[in-house]
Amino acid sequence: MRRISVDIGGTFTDCFVTWDEEFFQSKALTTHHNLSMGFNHALDQACQRIGKERREVLGGVDSVRYATTLGTNALIERSGPTVGVLVTAGFESTIALSRGRGYGEGMDALAKNDLSSGTRPEPLVPPRLIRSLRERVNYAGEILMDLSVDDVRRQLKALIDAGAEALLVSLTNATENPAHERLVQEIFLSEYPAHQLGAIPMLLSHQLSGRKGEYVRTTSTIIDAYLHATMYHALSDLEQNLRANGYAKPMLVNHNTGGMAQLNSTDALQTIHSGPVAGIAASEHLAGEVEIDKIIATDMGGTSFDIGLVTVGGGKHYDFMPVIDRWLVSIPMIRLVTLGAGGGSIASYNSLHDSVQVGPRSAGSDPGPACYDRGGLHPTVTDADLLLGYLDPSEYAGGQIPLNPARAEFAIEEVFGDHLEMDPIEVALLIKAEVDDQMANGMGKELRIRGYLPEEFTMLAYGGNGPLHCCGIADRLGITKVLAPPYSSVFSALGAGNTNQMHIHERTIAINLFSSATRQLFGDFDLFNGIVEDLESLGTADIVRQGMDPLKVEHRLELDMRYGNQLVTLAVVVDRNRLRSVSDTLAVADLFSQEYARRYGQGSQSPEAGIRISTVRVASFIVGKSIAFGTLAPASELSEPTRRTTRMCRFPGFSKALETSIFDQSALEPSQRVFGPAIVTAESTTYLVEPSWRIETGDRGAVWFFRNDNAGGVR
Amino acid sequence: MTQAQMPYSAEEQIKVDEFLAGATLFLGPDPEIMRNHKSAPRTPLEEELLSQPIDSDALDKVRKRIVAGLDEAYEMMEQTGAAPGAKWGDLTSAVYSAGGDLVHISSGGVLAFASVLHYPVRFINKYWASEPSVGIHDGDAFIHNDARYGNIHCTDQSIIMPVFHEGEIIAWVATVVHEGENGAKEPGGMPSSSESAFDDGLRMPPFKIFERGVLRRDLLTFLQNSVREPKLQYQDLKVKYYAALRIKERVLAVIDEVGRDTFVVSLRKSLEDVEAEARRRVSLVPDGTYRVNLWSDSTLRENLLLKYPCAITIKGEEMTIDWRGAAPQFLNRAFNSTLGTSKCGMNQGILAFLWPDLPRGISVMNSIEILTDPGSCLDPTDDAPLGQSLQGAFKAFAMTQALWSKLTFSCEEKFGAIIAPWFNQINTFLFGGITQHQEFVGNVCADLNGMGGGARAYSDGEHSMAPFFAAMADIGEQEIIEEDVPFMQLISKKIKRDNQAFGKYRGGMGYEMALAAKGTPFWGFATVSSGSKFPPTPGLFGGYGCPTLPLAKIKGVNVFDEMKNTPENWQFDFETLLNEQPIPGARYSTHHMGMALELANEGDIFMMCQGSGGGYGDVLERDPAEVMADIEAGYISGETAREIYFCVFDPETLAVNETATTQARDAERRARLERGRPYPDFIQDWVTEAPPEGIPYYGSWGDDNSMIHAVAWGAAGPIKLVAPMAQMPPIMLPDPKDLAILGLQAEIAALRATGAPSDA
Repeated sequence: MRRISVDIGGTFTDCFVTWDEEFFQSKALTTHHNLSMGFNHALDQACQRIGKERREVLGGVDSVRYATTLGTNALIERSGPTVGVLVTAGFESTIALSRGRGYGEGMDALAKNDLSSGTRPEPLVPPRLIRSLRERVNYAGEILMDLSVDDVRRQLKALIDAGAEALLVSLTNATENPAHERLVQEIFLSEYPAHQLGAIPMLLSHQLSGRKGEYVRTTSTIIDAYLHATMYHALSDLEQNLRANGYAKPMLVNHNTGGMAQLNSTDALQTIHSGPVAGIAASEHLAGEVEIDKIIATDMGGTSFDIGLVTVGGGKHYDFMPVIDRWLVSIPMIRLVTLGAGGGSIASYNSLHDSVQVGPRSAGSDPGPACYDRGGLHPTVTDADLLLGYLDPSEYAGGQIPLNPARAEFAIEEVFGDHLEMDPIEVALLIKAEVDDQMANGMGKELRIRGYLPEEFTMLAYGGNGPLHCCGIADRLGITKVLAPPYSSVFSALGAGNTNQMHIHERTIAINLFSSATRQLFGDFDLFNGIVEDLESLGTADIVRQGMDPLKVEHRLELDMRYGNQLVTLAVVVDRNRLRSVSDTLAVADLFSQEYARRYGQGSQSPEAGIRISTVRVASFIVGKSIAFGTLAPASELSEPTRRTTRMCRFPGFSKALETSIFDQSALEPSQRVFGPAIVTAESTTYLVEPSWRIETGDRGAVWFFRNDNAGGVR
Repeated sequence: MTQAQMPYSAEEQIKVDEFLAGATLFLGPDPEIMRNHKSAPRTPLEEELLSQPIDSDALDKVRKRIVAGLDEAYEMMEQTGAAPGAKWGDLTSAVYSAGGDLVHISSGGVLAFASVLHYPVRFINKYWASEPSVGIHDGDAFIHNDARYGNIHCTDQSIIMPVFHEGEIIAWVATVVHEGENGAKEPGGMPSSSESAFDDGLRMPPFKIFERGVLRRDLLTFLQNSVREPKLQYQDLKVKYYAALRIKERVLAVIDEVGRDTFVVSLRKSLEDVEAEARRRVSLVPDGTYRVNLWSDSTLRENLLLKYPCAITIKGEEMTIDWRGAAPQFLNRAFNSTLGTSKCGMNQGILAFLWPDLPRGISVMNSIEILTDPGSCLDPTDDAPLGQSLQGAFKAFAMTQALWSKLTFSCEEKFGAIIAPWFNQINTFLFGGITQHQEFVGNVCADLNGMGGGARAYSDGEHSMAPFFAAMADIGEQEIIEEDVPFMQLISKKIKRDNQAFGKYRGGMGYEMALAAKGTPFWGFATVSSGSKFPPTPGLFGGYGCPTLPLAKIKGVNVFDEMKNTPENWQFDFETLLNEQPIPGARYSTHHMGMALELANEGDIFMMCQGSGGGYGDVLERDPAEVMADIEAGYISGETAREIYFCVFDPETLAVNETATTQARDAERRARLERGRPYPDFIQDWVTEAPPEGIPYYGSWGDDNSMIHAVAWGAAGPIKLVAPMAQMPPIMLPDPKDLAILGLQAEIAALRATGAPSDA
C-alpha cells in the first residue's frame, strides 16, 4: 500500500507516509498563509527518507487524506464572512438566546456556575442580520401559515442591504417539511442568480441537519456558512498543489464523524475537530491491529488532556449535540472529552482544604513551566515532574529546552512555602498525585457514565506527557495495561490514513415502538423501512458521487431511543436494516433494553412507560484498505536492555527516594523489557515506569506498560 | 394547686413519657429538626478521629472522588429523567453524613437544595430507625416530597438511601428531581389556586419505597393512583433510585479504598472547612446593618401588596438576616413558603452570586442566623397551603441579592461580580391535558429558565439567560417540545421590545411568548407569577427595576384559522397584537399573572413575557452608541431612547447627535435638581402613619416591624387589622369569583330597583 495522510494543526503539519511495507513520519511548521508550503515541506522530509522525489511519491499513492483543525482556528479568530439569517417569525431571538445556557457552553465548571459573571460570547450573527419570514409549519410538517413571497423578497433585500456575504435559511420544523426553505431558495435564485458576479451562497438548514431543534440546527448552519469560504479556499489550494505535483486522484478530507470524503461531499462543519478525531480513528485502527476490544485513548499534552473511547462491536461513541468553540450544534461528532490538565497546568494552594490544587489555569508554552526559565513564575506539573527526578534537565524535548530545577523549586517554595510544612519535593509528590487523580476521575466518570468498568480497558497514552503519567493514572483506575502507541507524535495523521469513506444521514421521527397509552406495538413497517431506504439512498449517492462502486456500500442503522418522555436518547446499533414483523419490533426493543441496562444498571429500564424512536440514522460506508503494521504485541521472548545510569526519584506511596534505572531510546527497540522504577528518555517524550510496573516493547515503537500483577499479553 | 397541676414524681414522669411516646397520633414535621439549618456538632467518633493527625490531601481526594460520583449520577438523571425538570437541570444528587448533614452535592443543578435536603434525612434517623414497623436496612430507599418535612416545594421528589458499612450507617445519598405533576388541585404540581394544604397534591413525608432493594409495588401503585401522570411517577422513581444506587456504589468504593476513618474524617472536615471559609468571607464585609424592602403585588388570585422586609446585620464573622415584619401567611392562598424553603431562596443568592466558587453543603449556613415572625408568609404554620411557595422563596432570594452587592461593593476580596438583582419570578405557563399521543400530562414549560440577568458594575445584563436557581438550565428547543405536547408557541421566546430595566448598564431583557393549543380534546394553561403591577426586581445604584407586564389573552377566534385564511391579521408580537387588536371579532384582555388552570379552546391565544434583570447606574451615563445598538436590534423603541436615555439621533440612520445628546442630558440633570427636595421635607410629606386607604396591604409599615398591617375578611367583609404577628387572626380571602358574583348580584339588584328587566 502507498498512502499519504496529513494532520494540519495550528502549529505543526504532521505527515505519515505508507510506502509499500514501510512507514515514514515527518513534521513541519504549519504555514497559515499557504498551507501547501508546510505540507510540501513535511512531505519532502518523508520523501527524502523514502529516497524518492515528491512528484514520484504523489503520483504513486492511492490517496492523500487530510485531517485539520483549520476550521476551529477560523472560528476562534472570527475570520468568517458576514452571515445573514432568515428564521420563522416569532423566532427572531432564538439565536441570541442560545437556549439560555450559551454563556456556559465550552466553559469550565466554575464559569458555568458563576451566574454573576456569566457572559455569552460575541455572536457570529448579530441581531441586525437576523430577519424573519411570516410562515409556520407544525411539528408534523403541516403548513399552518403559507410563506409570503413578497415578504421573502423584502427580507432578502434587507439582509443584502445590511451587508450579508452569505445567507442561510432556518425555518421552524423544516426537517419535517422543507417546502418553505426550498421556496425561499427559489425566490433568492430568481432575484439574485448564481451565475452573476457578486452572487452569494445560500444554505438551507434542513440540508445540514435532519434533526429537530431549531437552535442547534441554526447554529450548525451558521457555523457551516461562516467557515465555508475559508475551508473551501484552503482545501482547494491544497488540492491544486497536489495536482501541480503529480497527484491526479481526488483529495480526501477527514470528517469529525470518524469518516472521510472528497471535497465535493464535505461540509465545512464536518471538518471541525477532524484532527483530534483522527487520533481516535488511529486508536480504533490500533485496537483492530492488536485485537483489543476496549480502549480508552488519552492525549496528554501541555495544556489539556483529551479522552476518547473505542469499543469494538459497540458502535462509535458520538456526541449528537457537541459544543464547537462556544456553540452548541447538531451534528454527530466522535465524542472527545477535554479535561483541563497537562504538563503546563499550574499548581496552587487550596486554602479551603489546606491542600494542593492543579489547574484549571495553565502556563501554556509561553512562558511555560517555571523550569523552562522563560519567565514563568507559577509551579506546574512539569516542574513537579522535574523535581521528582523524572525528567532529565539536559535531554527534555530532545535537548531543545534545557530545564532549570532551581526555578521549579523556587516556584513551589513561593506558592506553598507559607502554607505547607513540607520541602518542595514533598509538594511535588502531591502535585503529581493530584494531577494523576484528576485525570483518573475524569476518565472514570466518562467510562462509568457509559456503563463501562475502567479496569476492563486498555489505556492508550499519547501526547508529550502521556507516557510520563500513564502508570499513575492507570493505577488509580485499576487499569493494568497501557499502550504508548507507535508513531504517537503524528498520531492523528496516522488515523487520517485509516478512516473509511463514510457519510451519516439522519432524520427525526416520532415512532412509538411500544405505546403505553394504547399498549400497541409498532407495526407500520413500510413507514420505517421507507425512511431507512431514503437515508441509505442519500448515503449511497454521496459515495457514488465520489466514483465508488455502489455495490460495495455498506449501511449501519442506528436508532436513537428513549423510554416514555425522556429527553435524551440512547443510540442503539440495530442488527437488522429492515423491520418486517412484530418479532423485529421486539428484537429492537430488546436491543435497546440491553444497552440501557448495561449503561444505567439492570432493572433501570422502563418499557412500561413506552418505547420511542426519535431519530433514525444511517451511516453509509465503504470498507477501504487500512495500513497493516504487523506485530505490535511484545514477543514471548524478551531481553532486558542495559541501563545507562541510575537516578534517585521520588514516587507517591514511597517515603524515600528509590534508585531508578535510566535508559535511553535504545531500550524501546522491539522485544525488550524494563522493570520499574525506571525511566526511558526518548526524543519526543519520557517513559516513566513506576514501581510495580514494567514495559515490554513490540515492533515499530509500540511500548506496553503492564502492572506487575498483569501477567502480560496484549489481549 | 389542683391535683392536675401537681408535678409528677420522677417515677411518674417516666411512665407519663412512655405513655405519651406510645400515644403519638401523628409524626408531623418536627420543629426541632425543621427550625435548625445548621450542621450537627461532631460525633464522639469524629471527635476521636479528628484528634489524630490529618492528611489534608488524602481527604481532598476523597472529596473529589465523591463529587465525581455525584456528577456521574447527576448526568445519569439528566439523561434518563422523564420530567421536564430533569431535562433542564432542575435536579441534584447529594451525599450526607450518617447524622444527616448535607456535605456534598453535584457540581450542576439547583444549589439551593444544599440548604434543605438534610431535614428529611434527620427525620428518618430520628423516627424510622428505631421504629419496628419501618427500620433502616441496607438496600432500603425512602421517597419524600413534602416541603413541610424539608424540600424546596412539593413538586420536587427525592430518593434517600442509607449507605451501610460493616452493618452501620456510614452515610446517606439522595437524588432529587423537579417532577412537576403531583396530583395537586391543578396539573403541574405548583397550583396557584391552592386553598388548603390538601390542594397541594401528594404530601409524602419520608417513607420507605424500596425495602432491601425491592420496590414496594403497593406503595408505588398508591402514588400512581394519586397523580395525573402515573407513567412519570413510575419512570422517574426508577431514574432517581438507580442514580442513587450509582452514588452508593461510588461511596462504598471510596470507603473500601481509603477506609472508614478517612471517609468519616473527610466528610466532617469538609463541613468544617466550608464553615470556616464562609465565616472568613462574612468577616470581610464591613460590620453594620443593611436594609431593603421588597413587595409582591399578588397572592396569585388577586392583586394586593405583600411586604418582604430584610435587614442583614454583619458582626464579625456572624450574619443575622431579619425577615420580621413580612406579610402574614394566608390560609387559603398558595404563596406561603416554609421557613426551610425561604432559607433555600436566601442561600441561592449567596451560593450562586456571592460565593459561586464555594463548595455547597449545609455548613455554609452555620454562620447565619435567621429571624422571622412565625405565622408569616416566610415562616407559616403546617396547615398553610404551599402550592406556589416559590413566591416566598424567590423573594427571599431577591432580598438577599438586592443587599449583597451593596454589602460587598467596597470589599477588596470579592468572589462574584457586583450585579443588580436577577429577575425572580416564574413567568411561564403550566399546562395540563391530553396530548396528541393520547396521554394525560401536567407540567411546566421550560420558558421559566429564561430569566433576565442583572446588569453588572461593568456591563449590561444578559438577556433571558438562566433562572437564578439553576446554572446552565435550558429553555429547550421548541420543535422538540411541540412534538410531545399539543400546543405551539406562535411567538417563541422573542425578546420583548422595551422590556428593559434601564440604567447605565441595562438589565438583561426577557422574552415574549404566545401559546395556542391545537389537536387536543382537552387542554388548559395556568400561570403562577406576580409582578404585573409592581416590579418584582429592583435596580441597583440608580438603575431601574424591571418593567411590569400583564398576562394577556385573545379569545373568541381560532388563530390557526386566521393564520391560514387571513394571515395578514396575525402579528408576531405582543405589542402590536394588544395595541392594534388586528383580528376582527376577537376578545382581547389583560390580567395579573396568577391564573388557575383555564381551559383553552383550539386557537385561543395566551401571552406573557419573561422579566428583565435589574439595571445598574444612571441612565444618563449610558453610552449613546449602546442605546442605538439596542434600537437596531429591536430591543428598545426610539421613544425609550429619547425619553429615558435622553439620546438625540436620526431615526433613519441611528446616527447620534453627540452635542444635542449632551445638552439633553445636562438639561435633565438640571431638571432633576429642580424636582429634588431636602430629605426632611420629603419625609414629612411622604411618610404616613398607615398604608394608603385603597390598597389591601399586608406586612409592617415603616420601620416598625413589630406591628403587622392586614386586611382580614369576615362575614361582614374586609376588616383592617394592626397587631403583632402572634396575635394576627387567620387571614383568608374570599374567592375572587364569589366577589365578582356578589358584585354582579348587586348590580342586578340595583337594576331591579330601577325597574329594569332582570336579565338586562
